[in-house]
Amino acid sequence: MRTISVCVGSSCHLKGSYDIIRIFKALIKEHGLEDKWELKAEFCCNNCRNPVSVRVDDSEPYSVDLESAEAFFKEKILGA
Amino acid sequence: MEVRTELYWESTNKFGEELCGDKVEAVQSPEETIMVMADGLGSGVKANILSTLTTKIALTMLREGSSIEETVKTIMATLPICKIRKIAYSTFTIIRVDLQGNCYIVEYGNPPVMLLRDGKVLRLEGTTREIDGKEVKEYRLRVQRDDVFIAMSDGVVHAGVGGILNLGWQWENIAQYIEKISKVETTIASLVKLLSEATMNFYLDMPGDDATIVALKIISPQFVTVFAGPPQNPDDDEKVVNHLIEKPGKKIVCGGTAAQIVARVLDREIKTSTNFVDPTIPPIAWIKGIDLVTEGVLTLDRTCKILTRFIDTDVQYSELRQLQQQKDGASRLAMFLLNATDITFLLGKAINPAHQNPGFPKNLSIKLNIVKELVDILDKMGKHIEIVYY
Repeated sequence: MRTISVCVGSSCHLKGSYDIIRIFKALIKEHGLEDKWELKAEFCCNNCRNPVSVRVDDSEPYSVDLESAEAFFKEKILGA
Repeated sequence: MEVRTELYWESTNKFGEELCGDKVEAVQSPEETIMVMADGLGSGVKANILSTLTTKIALTMLREGSSIEETVKTIMATLPICKIRKIAYSTFTIIRVDLQGNCYIVEYGNPPVMLLRDGKVLRLEGTTREIDGKEVKEYRLRVQRDDVFIAMSDGVVHAGVGGILNLGWQWENIAQYIEKISKVETTIASLVKLLSEATMNFYLDMPGDDATIVALKIISPQFVTVFAGPPQNPDDDEKVVNHLIEKPGKKIVCGGTAAQIVARVLDREIKTSTNFVDPTIPPIAWIKGIDLVTEGVLTLDRTCKILTRFIDTDVQYSELRQLQQQKDGASRLAMFLLNATDITFLLGKAINPAHQNPGFPKNLSIKLNIVKELVDILDKMGKHIEIVYY
């Protein structure tokens, strides 16, 4: 099982964690990846200056916003 | 033994009246609890004005240190005189309990206060004295933990008069009923609700008078400790976590970084959830041994907004159940704080650089300010507050 963690700290929350999680949840379902990928929330990962921090397994945080969420998913998750 | 109090009351209006002629006001300060219940002469607007004046005057004067004589004289001299009955009149019951467990009760014209102790309802031994030609009854006693004082307006003892009960619901019968239900009902809210329902039933749902029941329970201090914000000096991380763990009572952590510090020092895992109960409040998390883990400023800010409403005791008693059902972090935090009597804040002074940019809501940029606002609100509610900076 691999994990995709979305930061829900204050800054990321204000920058749209809720929507990013919503989008990822929908995409995981759409592609039938529930068995392979676990979507998790994460408390602050010290990357607060940038838009919503997302980590794939134990990667460094990537910054994802609403516009780039789907492309990010395609690249990092589907392309994985 | 230090004691604190828990209060609950309910009023039912006389049938067809929009306003209640009974009034209850209370203050739970760090020094003492004062509860005043007044029953104004007549019903409706007039009674409401009389009882409101009475409770306000009594509470304000007693809080500021006036004697009971001065207070009673002031009430009598202030109440407007009823045109029909040519008297100024409102009955009252005042219960005052200090932190050491000394209780003083003064009663004028209301049914005698009941004391529920160890499953039995006791009639208190008091003395009578005259103030300005009015006979008031006084009681002084030492309280025990789990004592419940029950005060009621005469609308309760008169329930059913001339209807289904010839003499109404008499004191002794009410006492028996309380003894019976107290075996199964453990909260004062449910006790009061049942009494209130029984009263309504005797009136066949058409109360002939305003009926009010107040319960005041003696409890031990309920401690809550909140750790918010990382310490200014990371070397203090361990110290603040130990402080949190060693405190008795409930333990709460507010803020992502603070939660990570706790998890690291205790070597425990933070469990998170992607389940947003409310899209505007970040989800809560779990750390073993910590009663509540939430995000920081946004949650604290929302908790402030919730509690601001709850300063009003009327709101507190009518909306508490609703709040209890809310599962978001801010409502849960508010619930913990409302249930607490003694709250300690462990406040880290580190500044979060991410909160210092122009895009971040200005009023949220300084966590300490939000906590100060929260402390102000809790202070108004009479909570005992301690703040320790790190």
